[in-house]
Amino acid sequence: MTALVQVENVGRKYGSVRALDKVSFEVEPGEWIAIMGPSGSGKTSLINILGGLDRPSSGRAVVDGMDVGSLGERELTRYRAEKIGFIFQQFHLVPYLSAVENVMLAQYFHSVADEAEAARALERVGLGHRLTHLPSQLSGGEQQRVALARALINHPKLILADEPTGNLDETNEQIVLELLHELRAAGHTLLLVTHSQEIGRMADRRIELAHGHLAQIVANVT
Amino acid sequence: MPAVQRRSRQDAGGTKEQTRCGRLRFTGMFWRIYRRLLWASRGRLALAILAVASGATVCAALVNLELDSSDKLTREFRTLGANVIVAPATMAGESATMEQQVMDQIGDGIGVSEAAEIVAASPYLYLAAQAGEPAHAVPVIVAGAWLDQVARINSWWQVQGQPVTDRDDAEHCMAGRAAASSLHLAPGDRVNLRHAGREYSCTVAGVVTAGGSEDSQIFVSLAAAQHLAGREGRISLVQLSVRGDTPEVESVVRHLGGALPGLEVRPVRQLAAAEGRLLERIRGLLVATVVLILALSALGVLAAMAGLALERRSDVGLMKALGGSVRSIMRLFLAEAATVGVLGGVIGSGAGLLVAQWIGRSVFAAAVTPRLEVAPLTVAVMVMVSLAGALPLRLLGRVRPAEILRNE
Amino acid sequence: MFLRIVKDSFARQPRRKLLAAAALALGTAVATATLSITLDSGDRMAREFRSLGANLLVRPQADTLPLEIGGVDYRPVESGAYLPVADLGRLKTIFWRNNIIGFAPFLEAPVALRREESASAAGVELPRALLIGTWYRHEVTVPEGGGVFVTGVASTHPWWRVAGRWFDDAAQECVVGAALAQRTGISAGQVLELDAGGRSMRLTVTGILTTGGQEDEAVLAPLDLAQKLSNRSGQYRRLFVSALTKPEDVFSRRERASMTAAEYDLWYCSPYISSISHQIGERLSGVDVRPIRQIAEAEGQILTRVGGLMWLVTLAALLAAAIAVAATAGTTVLERACEIGLMKALGARRAMVGAFFLGEQWLLALVGGAAGYGAGLVLAHFAGQHIFGISPEIRLILLPVVLGVAALVTMLGSLLALRRITRLDPAPVLRGE
Repeated sequence: MTALVQVENVGRKYGSVRALDKVSFEVEPGEWIAIMGPSGSGKTSLINILGGLDRPSSGRAVVDGMDVGSLGERELTRYRAEKIGFIFQQFHLVPYLSAVENVMLAQYFHSVADEAEAARALERVGLGHRLTHLPSQLSGGEQQRVALARALINHPKLILADEPTGNLDETNEQIVLELLHELRAAGHTLLLVTHSQEIGRMADRRIELAHGHLAQIVANVT
Repeated sequence: MPAVQRRSRQDAGGTKEQTRCGRLRFTGMFWRIYRRLLWASRGRLALAILAVASGATVCAALVNLELDSSDKLTREFRTLGANVIVAPATMAGESATMEQQVMDQIGDGIGVSEAAEIVAASPYLYLAAQAGEPAHAVPVIVAGAWLDQVARINSWWQVQGQPVTDRDDAEHCMAGRAAASSLHLAPGDRVNLRHAGREYSCTVAGVVTAGGSEDSQIFVSLAAAQHLAGREGRISLVQLSVRGDTPEVESVVRHLGGALPGLEVRPVRQLAAAEGRLLERIRGLLVATVVLILALSALGVLAAMAGLALERRSDVGLMKALGGSVRSIMRLFLAEAATVGVLGGVIGSGAGLLVAQWIGRSVFAAAVTPRLEVAPLTVAVMVMVSLAGALPLRLLGRVRPAEILRNE
Repeated sequence: MFLRIVKDSFARQPRRKLLAAAALALGTAVATATLSITLDSGDRMAREFRSLGANLLVRPQADTLPLEIGGVDYRPVESGAYLPVADLGRLKTIFWRNNIIGFAPFLEAPVALRREESASAAGVELPRALLIGTWYRHEVTVPEGGGVFVTGVASTHPWWRVAGRWFDDAAQECVVGAALAQRTGISAGQVLELDAGGRSMRLTVTGILTTGGQEDEAVLAPLDLAQKLSNRSGQYRRLFVSALTKPEDVFSRRERASMTAAEYDLWYCSPYISSISHQIGERLSGVDVRPIRQIAEAEGQILTRVGGLMWLVTLAALLAAAIAVAATAGTTVLERACEIGLMKALGARRAMVGAFFLGEQWLLALVGGAAGYGAGLVLAHFAGQHIFGISPEIRLILLPVVLGVAALVTMLGSLLALRRITRLDPAPVLRGE
């Protein structure tokens, strides 16, 4: 099976600061990968590169057969819309759009907005009764669930999550982790940045970074 | 969670090209986001609209005034007094005269183009008569005219007593201030005028302070003067007050000159040109100020948009992360800017038309007709001003999503 | 310490302040320029109005009734009173001497005309006409060391046109009115013989005069020559004066007897047409000075209209400037939300935070406003030159006024935004939301 994600000697420099240095690994379709490391280790830079939000300074990152570093601006936009689903620690919902409209936004940028489909997606994360609520009217956990529905709506190849439970309290954290388990069970490929050992142990493999270098890749034995 | 499935929407997406075309339409979702955007930023947008509206008001008001008449503005600088004289070509002192019929021809508007307008016209017959008691006779110039018209031509006259308002009133006359003083006349007194054996008496209805030659004349009805002079049906000259500036006056002179051969038609230059000239000069200042005000409007919009841009940075970053192209995001913002321009332009046009009316009434004492074509012109200009002021939003297009969405 | 922080903060990140500076500079520039021009417009227009010609008429106090039609006096030379030309220099010694732009004395005399033909000695006899003696550009000696003042109908009747050239005030020359010339076949270059009361002289016609009035029927010659012909040497009948005046207002129309000493001084020291008339009457004895009301009215009307329009435009400019500055101030505050959050997190009280930012905004208003004031003066200079041919007076009083308004508007604009932001919980702001 060809790997979904092939990272080959990827490096990223910001001026004189080296955020990533010669990181290489592969991700198979359907895997749950946890990317871990102390702060400053380059986790977010890696995720951003894989998600098409940033370009590597050196090396190659190939996702679903596409070399992300070599894509033009337009192609990168399409890549983000079609292949990737993002989940952020700060949720990043548009404050003046309702829950369902936030999901429809992702549809809109992909191709066509479909309210019925968006509503169904929200129902699936348990928010069928909160469709018309604004983010300010939703709890942290509910907002993240909307973000999750949004990330999935375009059937992305890869789901990238950057500390998705970092801003949530315990109860909501559990709910969101449950949903992530369901995603994995359904066959989605998941790359999750976390600094929590506990969450790291839920993944199939842990990729540990330190000072921008790949320290080790640990497979979780279940 | 159901397995990954191909959805109808993805089929509708189709090939890359079709997907791209699909996004270019102004779909329902576009307008939905647009509405939410407008409502979410209503405070700032209101400020931007205010800035646009103020600029639009000034623009619309001045364009209206300009259109309704570079005529209206200069037209209302109507010359004080007569600006056209019609006289017999062979005049020598006060003795040559012409037929009074000329008045009918002028009254019928013979030779006068539609653009110009004769506000008032009066024939004059001058003669030198002896006034007062034969023992203390004083020579005085008697002017016979249509006294109702004379008052209109000479609007600055001050009358102590009553003016004569009926041109056929043979009982009453008006005396110039100096004449009244010399002859010791007050309103209500009778004055006796004699010329070549003929006599005429009238009651002084009012004493006129004209601040000119008229102060030393006595004004009687034309018929009375003609009878006193023994020149029935004759007049010395015609004074016309034409509404307008130099072009209008010269046009009347040309047309009347052509229509009345054998007579001399000449403009009274003194005041006509000077007044219009002054406004021409001011016009340059007005235009410059309007341009500056438009620049200020653009700055106000710019400021409001800069604030908007700041508030939206993370939203734009997010939209880009979701795969939103710069084009589609910008289309939203430009639609927003255009809306500001249209709303501000419409409000400003309406206000501007009203202001133009008000300026017309209070400053120029004339009715200004609202020119509706001003509205679309102003709106168009204001939309351009808004789009120019929306630069900060356009700059948002360059935002790097990674920087905005950075976690640490 | 407060000032130090404000100054340091002000110097940082100049780019961010660009928008605020631009709005302030442009706003104050426009305000200054329009205010300068509008405040001056009355005076400048007064100068414009001089192109309308003379606005005062001086006659002998004890005079018989003029026989005037259209400004030309048909009285015989013997009747009526006269005034001495020698006194005329005193017009330039009154309090408002610099407002006397010009004056021209007139003396009329009926004459017999004869046109000289080169061939015949007798010449062609023409109908009698009126001779008007006056000055074109005559040198008048001003007493009390005032030097020489050149004046005449060039100043008082600027709309008179001569085809050819005007006569030289010292030469035996004349100009002939267009109507008279047309009727009698006189043209420039010919020699006319004028006879009156047994005296005669020969004048060369230098041009044909068009006035649009009764003067077109007359012959105009230098005043000295008319005086000789009518045996009235050193005298004149009427004087036209062109003076720079301030339009009459409620104050000036009051009865002088009812004014207090201070009010009287104020009236005397303002160039109202009534006070200038009064001052002329003080210097020239035995005269009656009256405004030519047609001109005065026209001036008044134009002033009101144009002045009104200019004030409206100025107000519109001020309003637009205020909106732009307020909008910018509001935005600038928003940009600093992060810092404000930081300050609050460090424990600064809301009022303190507000004070810092207001202080900075005011400093910005001061700098930007002063720059705008300078730019506005330059703008006003060019506009004034273009419109009135003279740049407006630099009014230093405008600087504090404009700065004050700029500071006020900046404050109002900032206040609203400040209120919102200082109420914010610092934490989300610091996290970067």
